[in-house]
Amino acid sequence: MVTVTRRGYVGLPVERTDAIEKVQGKARYVGDVRRPNMWYGAIVRSPVSHGFVEGLERDPHFDWSGVVLVTPDDIPGSNVVESLVRDMPFLAAKEVRYRGEPVALVAAPTREAAHAAAAAVKPRIRRVPALTEPDEVVRVFKAGGELEYLWSQEIRKGDAEQGLREARIVVEREYRTGYAEQLYIEPQGMIAVPQEDGGVLVEGSMQCPYYVQPELCALLNLPPEKVRVRQTVVGGGFGGKEEFPSLLAGYCALLALKSGRAVKIVFDREEDILFTTKRHPSWVRHRTGLTREGRITGWRVDFLLIGGAYATLSPVVLARGIIHAAIGYRCDDVVVQGRVVRTNMPPSGAFRGFGAPQAFWALESHVDELAEACGMRPDEFRLRNIYRGGDTTTTGQRVPEQYGGPAVLRKALELSRFGARYAHCSRGRTMSDRWYGIGLAYFCHGAGFTGDGEARIRARAAVELARGPEGGPAVVIRASSTEMGQGAQTVLRQIVADALAVPIDRVRYPLPDTALVPDSGPTVASRTTMVVGAVLYDAAVAMKKALQRFVSRNFFDGEGCVLEEGTFSSETGRSLDFTRAALDYLRTTGVQQRFEAVFSLPPGTQWDQERFRGDAYPDYSWACYVAEVEVERATLAIGPIKITAVLDIGRVVNPVLAEGQVQGGLVQGIGYALMEKVGVAEGLFEAARMQTYIVPGALDIPEIRVTFVECPYPYSATGAKGLGELPLNGAAPAVGNALKHAVGRRIHDLPVTPEKLFRAIERKGDAP
Amino acid sequence: MNGEPARENAPAEDWIRRTWLVNGREVSLRVPPLRRVLDILREELGLTGAKEGCGEGECGACTVLVDDQPVCACLLVAAQLPNRSRILTIEGLSAMEEGRILEEAYVEAGAVQCGFCIPGMVMASYALLRRNSAPTERQIREALAGNICRCTGYVKIVEAVGRAAERMGRAAAGR
Ligand code: FES
Ligand code: FES
Repeated sequence: MVTVTRRGYVGLPVERTDAIEKVQGKARYVGDVRRPNMWYGAIVRSPVSHGFVEGLERDPHFDWSGVVLVTPDDIPGSNVVESLVRDMPFLAAKEVRYRGEPVALVAAPTREAAHAAAAAVKPRIRRVPALTEPDEVVRVFKAGGELEYLWSQEIRKGDAEQGLREARIVVEREYRTGYAEQLYIEPQGMIAVPQEDGGVLVEGSMQCPYYVQPELCALLNLPPEKVRVRQTVVGGGFGGKEEFPSLLAGYCALLALKSGRAVKIVFDREEDILFTTKRHPSWVRHRTGLTREGRITGWRVDFLLIGGAYATLSPVVLARGIIHAAIGYRCDDVVVQGRVVRTNMPPSGAFRGFGAPQAFWALESHVDELAEACGMRPDEFRLRNIYRGGDTTTTGQRVPEQYGGPAVLRKALELSRFGARYAHCSRGRTMSDRWYGIGLAYFCHGAGFTGDGEARIRARAAVELARGPEGGPAVVIRASSTEMGQGAQTVLRQIVADALAVPIDRVRYPLPDTALVPDSGPTVASRTTMVVGAVLYDAAVAMKKALQRFVSRNFFDGEGCVLEEGTFSSETGRSLDFTRAALDYLRTTGVQQRFEAVFSLPPGTQWDQERFRGDAYPDYSWACYVAEVEVERATLAIGPIKITAVLDIGRVVNPVLAEGQVQGGLVQGIGYALMEKVGVAEGLFEAARMQTYIVPGALDIPEIRVTFVECPYPYSATGAKGLGELPLNGAAPAVGNALKHAVGRRIHDLPVTPEKLFRAIERKGDAP
Repeated sequence: MNGEPARENAPAEDWIRRTWLVNGREVSLRVPPLRRVLDILREELGLTGAKEGCGEGECGACTVLVDDQPVCACLLVAAQLPNRSRILTIEGLSAMEEGRILEEAYVEAGAVQCGFCIPGMVMASYALLRRNSAPTERQIREALAGNICRCTGYVKIVEAVGRAAERMGRAAAGR
């Protein structure tokens, strides 16, 4: 549908590569894959939240023939998950630290038989005291009681105490968020297939093949060439398939190697919600000093996350959380103190936003409260206090003269007519049937890994020239970035087609397979379009140059030439078609030609990991949401009616896909704001089904208006910045602020529900 | 599924024989009476377009049409479906003109992300358009309220159904 123009494909709404097979039901998700003689696996889990394993008893009445059992003793390699803190076992051998922690595995010919066998293994565990409830953690923390910390990190700029002393007004408030579930609609699943050489092939639903592969090598004590990991079509991830799939892959692989058969585990919804990662619950306290004119003199933030039983990704979630905790507003004297508490719950983990949604719920609610404290409007206060070029962020990163923040804020205020509408907010005072409120949130997301992450990973990606299925030449993208719905496949093809100047249908992007692709880093942190896109652009340019040299030598008698819109043209006007040239090149040089490139950070990037000082991210994407809500006065039912979203994600590679990311992320954010909630009861997540964990449906969503402002990343050819996570970050505070102006009461902990509004109104007379 | 591991273990003599019209083709099977229609479609008949997202009627990923009504195939067991029942899955709809129009509208609107909810969405959309050829936006949202999508925020899905309705209307009017 798209024709080649001089402009190329970047910036055009190219149709998704994978849409047709998905819409026809032909895409093969892991649940759709069956292997010959395949067995099914199941997990034996700890029935207690904390204790010591004294044995595993097998029910003597159960028929154990045709069942394979794997215990920690069967693990050929190391029984520990490789992460920053190597504290989590694949199978708990001595101490169990959460209810449901895996202690053994079984496989059997049918799924029913496997689950029956798992139920017939009884772990004997000596119980010891456990800490499971987030409320209890916060209570103990505030009382100065003893807690175990998985990680702590501080950021310090200037002298916050001094700044607070100089203030005329000091505002101190606490904000909280609870557990939240990614709820990708395709549950976690994996298949392991033993190979003749003693190795294993693992395929399944995952975001990061190169997290899984080294993990399996260590667990199985196998060299990398014997462990092959392949992605199947992924039915949504949102971070939930970042670190967890390594565990599931390990379980399937252990069972496959012991049974000598393919083994599949696909969770049902309940097991998936109960025992996979959740968003970290948070408690954040802001203490902020202001001048009478509404400038910030000093700022102290205490940032507490609940990490669960093991550290896993918590240190990096905390890093992102504290960097975003007081970002966007000018202040020379800031301290942010971050901690992750250990509890006896499944490890909290990655979920779109990765610490930033918690940070912005607190920050953007708080900024509204600051405005109020000095008698300013929320928009005025923000316009006065946002960074100007040359300011520094909390970590001391210099804000460039031109950045997207002011533009998105002004544009969102203008498009939503914030000023005029703000005057009409009900504030719980009008007698009409519905209260109206409007509120805003101004926020950002650091694109790519935090700190020295990108420098350490050195993302690699390649393009290959090969013969396509129909015999013509194909440019094949070799990158480990996964398509999980976000559109990576399409966007990266657009970028490569443009870099080469060939028609996009010449560019293919098969699902990653570690036997075939280099490590481009994980598909996380809003880094794929920006980082891997930049690398692929460079790789494709290298291919283009090689092809141009070849054509000039072999067809144009050494005359220089350029490849444009699928045709090589020489200086004197001779021309040659890409197809012809590429096939000839392949014949001459061999079967496949690979061109690889590596990511480099902007020149002069500095980061001090100890002190958390310096350039925390290569760049930031900025956004402003204005939310309008209605609240029924009689029932306090909440109806978001409209969101005006303005975002700077740098160059927009595909406007339709980008808009889809914003709409989807925003709606997840509305769920976080108003309905998504998982309590804890006896060490288990309470909302373990879709009947009880409610996410937004088609009737729950407001009118959404999305506008992009382009402030490109200056250090790559594409100019794209991060997109994936940003849209979720600001939804909750925008809605929360709007509700405050509708009802006249502020709710400090998510989700905001009619019950909480009711209680807040009942308590009239308290501080607002 | 692991909640009720025993439900399919009916002794072979209790199995029932059923003949259904699946995507227009007659299919005869002998199955345990409590085997879920979703499993029969996916495992026995290889029709994996209907997905399992929750197994309890909440997500709609398993939506198929039985005698023109949208149902959750995960909630239906073999014994509940009499002989001659007509089952339509995404595979069957794809082969029909209406299916083609709907699919094209979904693709063009950018309504597909991870795709896991999409076959169910398309089936629910088709069921709506069968009974209401010119639905309002509100009616589209109501018809899709039982189908959860975690990726798209529904905006483009609703748009796609609107587009498809228009085109089917045009096609029906012979233009
Ligand atoms: S799987 Fe049937 S409704 Fe979710
Ligand atoms: S497209 Fe992913 S759940 Fe709908």
